Amino acid sequence: MILENVAAAVQELATFQTLLLMTVGASAGLIAGAIPGFTIAMAVVLTLPFTFGMQASQGIATMIGVYVGGLSGGLMSGILIGIPGTPSSVATTFDGFPMARSGDPGFALGLGVWSSFFGGIIATVLLVAVAPQLARVGLEFQPWDYFALIFFALTVTASLAGDNMIKGLISGALGLIIATVGEDDINGVKRFDFGFEYLGEGFAFLPVLIGLFAFSQLMSDVRDRVKARKALSEMQAVSIKIEHGRAVKTIIADWINLVRSALIGVFTGVLPAAGSSISNILAYDQAKKASPVPEKFGSGYSGGIIAPEAANNATAGGALITMMALGIPGDVITAVMLGALLIHDVVPSPAFITEQPKIAYSIFIAFFFANFLVLALQSGALRGFVLVTKVRMYVLASIILVYCGIGVFSLNNIENDMWTLAVFGVVGYMMRILKFPLAPMILGVVLGPIAERWLSRSLALSTDPMEFFTHPWSLFFIIVSVFSIGFSWYQQERGKKAWTFYYPPALMLSLTVPLFMMGGFVRPALAVLLIGLAAHLFWKATRRRHSEA
Amino acid sequence: MLSRDTIVSIALLLFCGFLIQAGFQIRDPQFGELSPAAWPQAVSYVLTAFCMIYFIQSVLANKADIAAAKADEAAVRHTGVVDWLRYYANPIACFALYFLFLATLPFFGTLIGGTLLVFALLSLLGGIAPRQIVLHAAIAVISVGAMWSLFTFGLRVLLPRGEIMPGI
Repeated sequence: MILENVAAAVQELATFQTLLLMTVGASAGLIAGAIPGFTIAMAVVLTLPFTFGMQASQGIATMIGVYVGGLSGGLMSGILIGIPGTPSSVATTFDGFPMARSGDPGFALGLGVWSSFFGGIIATVLLVAVAPQLARVGLEFQPWDYFALIFFALTVTASLAGDNMIKGLISGALGLIIATVGEDDINGVKRFDFGFEYLGEGFAFLPVLIGLFAFSQLMSDVRDRVKARKALSEMQAVSIKIEHGRAVKTIIADWINLVRSALIGVFTGVLPAAGSSISNILAYDQAKKASPVPEKFGSGYSGGIIAPEAANNATAGGALITMMALGIPGDVITAVMLGALLIHDVVPSPAFITEQPKIAYSIFIAFFFANFLVLALQSGALRGFVLVTKVRMYVLASIILVYCGIGVFSLNNIENDMWTLAVFGVVGYMMRILKFPLAPMILGVVLGPIAERWLSRSLALSTDPMEFFTHPWSLFFIIVSVFSIGFSWYQQERGKKAWTFYYPPALMLSLTVPLFMMGGFVRPALAVLLIGLAAHLFWKATRRRHSEA
Repeated sequence: MLSRDTIVSIALLLFCGFLIQAGFQIRDPQFGELSPAAWPQAVSYVLTAFCMIYFIQSVLANKADIAAAKADEAAVRHTGVVDWLRYYANPIACFALYFLFLATLPFFGTLIGGTLLVFALLSLLGGIAPRQIVLHAAIAVISVGAMWSLFTFGLRVLLPRGEIMPGI
């Protein structure tokens, strides 16, 4: 069955047109990643309008090309000029730049390029192996469980908020409100239209997304007149040759670092709200701690390039696992992809892989292809990418602003969408100024209608609210949601306050209730294991408190 | 003096009041278990609760925080309206030009309007020396022309046309 699906997906993607689109997407991602200040999310958002006319699998394949390209592109500017193109390449600069400065830029780039590639391949293997298994669980879900799952995804906004949780929560709730404007899906009743036909139709997802994210980002980029007139980077057109052979040999010799970092990347990607900007630093830190020569890190050591680059590319695989197996976005980029799938009338849910195997496996294969494409493109067109980064920001911003307008118009051929874009550009910019995070709002816009639909279906079956607590998966997600809301406090106070020592065991113990309710053998056995682990952690925490007292 | 966060939270609370009031005006068709107003109203109440917490947090923020915030704000922006406008001059002008582009779209159409917008943005942000004007005009014509051609002929999108030249 798996082989059949893989074969069908390969057939779908292995066409000249799709491969060409993926190549263009990967090139665009590499360019965006190489430009300091340009985010991968923005590149993926700007690709969306081009994907409307394509089949769902083709569109998603193009976006995955951009995603993987963006993750890899950041290493070029990071290594050559010491300014990471994207936050996911921050740790790469710690050793990449010193190595390049010490006269070995070709080797540094080789390590980065090949570590990215291997990290991506390891993530692909895990994606194909884990996502379908996880998705099987989704087949057990009933409407109450779906709603609780979406509720959990919404609570993730708390973690997305960073330093200021309440601003993140407000941003997420505002996203939910935006999604309610216009006709409701269930009864067709107009909401919050205030008598305006424009509002009665509701806001299309894409103009809102591009306005909030891309438009406002461009305005931030050109706010400073002096910076806006500067070239995006002072990189000179280089004639460096990437040292492939030497880099591959070094990476293979350091395979433990590579695999560990890739696993860190995948795990970070699976966790909602934790993205490649975190995974690259985590992997670097772990590589340094595990290394017999930690003092060499930071001075141009190969292990310091392998770890972050393997991790940041692998994170994409992890984020895709969450999106495909559970139908919830792990980060902003997968939220955009989720939106793209919705535009193509494909609704990702826990049953997605079973119901849409062709598209699901196309995503797996596209992710696999994209890693090869990016490797080839990076090797062949380094000089070209460096030249692009010499464009002045104001030139790029002016052109992209018009492109945004034309792009959103092409969605429904409605001029109102262009107004929506501009209005949400203003909203997004104001939110940036006031330091409200935008990612929760985007999650709110994407997940709001899905949550309402499942709530309605749940209530159609039974109006008893206790149903949410008596269905094991629903209870499971409600418990995780409660702990997810408290997770930011836990992170802030971890190790400082006594209660933080009891937080993980309390979560484990709480989860044993739904696990026992699920029945069978494996899940109750897992619950017993969790009880043992929780008891051990409780004992350790209590002993620690006593010793401190 | 009220901090920026307090002012924003008050504005948000007013917005919440407006939303709650608007929620009561949503028509109920009297069928289905979940009324069309239920979800937006629930979200409005949740938003109100968050805004209330935000308001309380901002009021309770200690003096040190306020002083630090003021110092931080002062570093990036000055207090007067004129200074504020000067600081955000580029984004304000860009937004104004963009809204002007949208308002005149039925007259100019995408090709001409878009070219004018790119040229105006480039000149506003990059300067208006004679050599730059020529360069900006070239960039505007080439970039918007290429975009327009790609969407019109490549993606077969019928972009808005203007009264000035109905053919394009």
